Amino acid sequence: MSKRWLISVFAVVVFCLSSGNPVLHGPVKVLGQDIEQKITVLSPIGMPPEIQLKPMAPRLDTLEGKTVYLVNDGYLGTDILLGEMRAWFQANMPGVDTVYKVKGGGGFAAEDPALWAEIKEKADAVVMGMGH
Amino acid sequence: MPTVPLIISEFYEQVKTHHTIQKGMPGLRVTYLIPPVWGKTAEQVRKDIVGKSPVSGEVVMQEIVENLTKPLTAEERKTGTIKPSTGPDRFTDTPDNLQRMFMEKRMTDYMPIILPTEEKVANMLKGTSHDPDAIVGKMAAHTAMPGENNVEIFEHWSYTVRTVAINAVMAGCRPEYMPVLLAVASTGKEAISVSDNSFTEGLIINGPIRDEIGLNYGIGAMGPFSQANSTLGRAWNLLSINAGNCGRVGTTYMGVVGNPMNWNNVIIAENEEESPWKPLHVRKGFKSSDSVVMLCEGWGVLSAKNSRYSVWEKEMDFSGTLKKIVADQDRLFGTLAVLSPPVANFIKEEGFDTIEKLIEFLAEPAEGMKMPPKAKMMLPQAKGKLPQGKMPFFMGPQIEIVVTGGSNNNYWSYGGMACRQSVSIDDWR
Repeated sequence: MSKRWLISVFAVVVFCLSSGNPVLHGPVKVLGQDIEQKITVLSPIGMPPEIQLKPMAPRLDTLEGKTVYLVNDGYLGTDILLGEMRAWFQANMPGVDTVYKVKGGGGFAAEDPALWAEIKEKADAVVMGMGH
Repeated sequence: MPTVPLIISEFYEQVKTHHTIQKGMPGLRVTYLIPPVWGKTAEQVRKDIVGKSPVSGEVVMQEIVENLTKPLTAEERKTGTIKPSTGPDRFTDTPDNLQRMFMEKRMTDYMPIILPTEEKVANMLKGTSHDPDAIVGKMAAHTAMPGENNVEIFEHWSYTVRTVAINAVMAGCRPEYMPVLLAVASTGKEAISVSDNSFTEGLIINGPIRDEIGLNYGIGAMGPFSQANSTLGRAWNLLSINAGNCGRVGTTYMGVVGNPMNWNNVIIAENEEESPWKPLHVRKGFKSSDSVVMLCEGWGVLSAKNSRYSVWEKEMDFSGTLKKIVADQDRLFGTLAVLSPPVANFIKEEGFDTIEKLIEFLAEPAEGMKMPPKAKMMLPQAKGKLPQGKMPFFMGPQIEIVVTGGSNNNYWSYGGMACRQSVSIDDWR
């Protein structure tokens, strides 16, 4: 009888704890052991924006006879990197015309509308480089 | 236009799991290089580009050609909208488990938090009259530098008054701090910048709010010696981490060596009462009865005693020392001088009865001073915009002076920090 009574008490306590009963505060003793009370807390997370998927630009069939702009975003060492890539194209794919440009605009993340217009008009593809 | 970005492999995780998705091109074809590029000779770079990419294992130049010519997959042509999930709006568990979960989900600064129960958040919201569901602002892991036509690198997350309150509870703030936090949050300025430079941020607080919330501007003003000083910066951090998606190592945090000032930022309440000059907010056009917070960013601050120009003499030339220190600073952020009241008063006695006079003196190039090579190299465009005869600061003359601290000795601090934005705290009461 006493065992059944203890089981009943235990069941009530567990029910109260799992339902987040606000009446209970602090650790509760069940069969001589502390059971920590569950509490509910709010999420501190903000709201991210929706993401619009964009298709990538169609690729070229070949680079032969095409103009590839090698664009330096202004970071240190990029001139050397793109210079070496330009030399590689000249040595290994001489049919590819490469044009080296430094992006302007006032910073690494700045737009350069004049260069973008030139690329739209004259380039077939772009390799955008940064050192780091 | 078919394009291949070149990025060093250290940024693979950031680019693959964040940037490409946020920009709507999860399959963007990037060629990753062996880091670093900066500092390598042409010969070293040549070897790298005919070697294998550390990410794909393909020969770098071959991969670039393939990335420009290989037909697109169906995935790469996909359009539509993705609605990111941020998980449940509440969690139920034992306090110990919740502490652990907040840490594991990276919703903390890895120090214990006050768990944001509904009751505590409701109490925090009593610190402002604003609607808990009103949107306060938007934040990204990087704020574009002042200037024209900058591209937004990171997406902007938005947050409500309630979100600010939840993070304020977690940081250990009192309800009366809410107007300060909301004013800061309204700017959208992140407390933890993504930059690999390991920047820190700062707040300079002026006006009656200082005493209302118990900010310390006496002895130890920049240290952890009052609840307001100790928790405001932490709350800004937590808000940035949770509501602005900042500070996630590998994606929205890339600071190479980190910055210990990131724990609480540089929090300064000006000692207006002992300053010989007009308070900072009054110099920015506010009334002395207004409560205002100014946001700063940069490398942080340290004791001026660290400078070789700051020597102990019987008679000090504080303005001359400050000028030499200003001249020696990197131009990215300029100089923030944090003067103790005695030093500020000495400088006034040296002939500078207004801050404007002092800043004009500091901005004149010191004899023989040259533009640092880094400034020349990084921003050749900036040269044309410099006012004649003034120091060639990266983004305009950034010299700011604030007075705080005790009067128990003639010490002061300085750092490369630019303070650009003042915001009314009273608007958020």
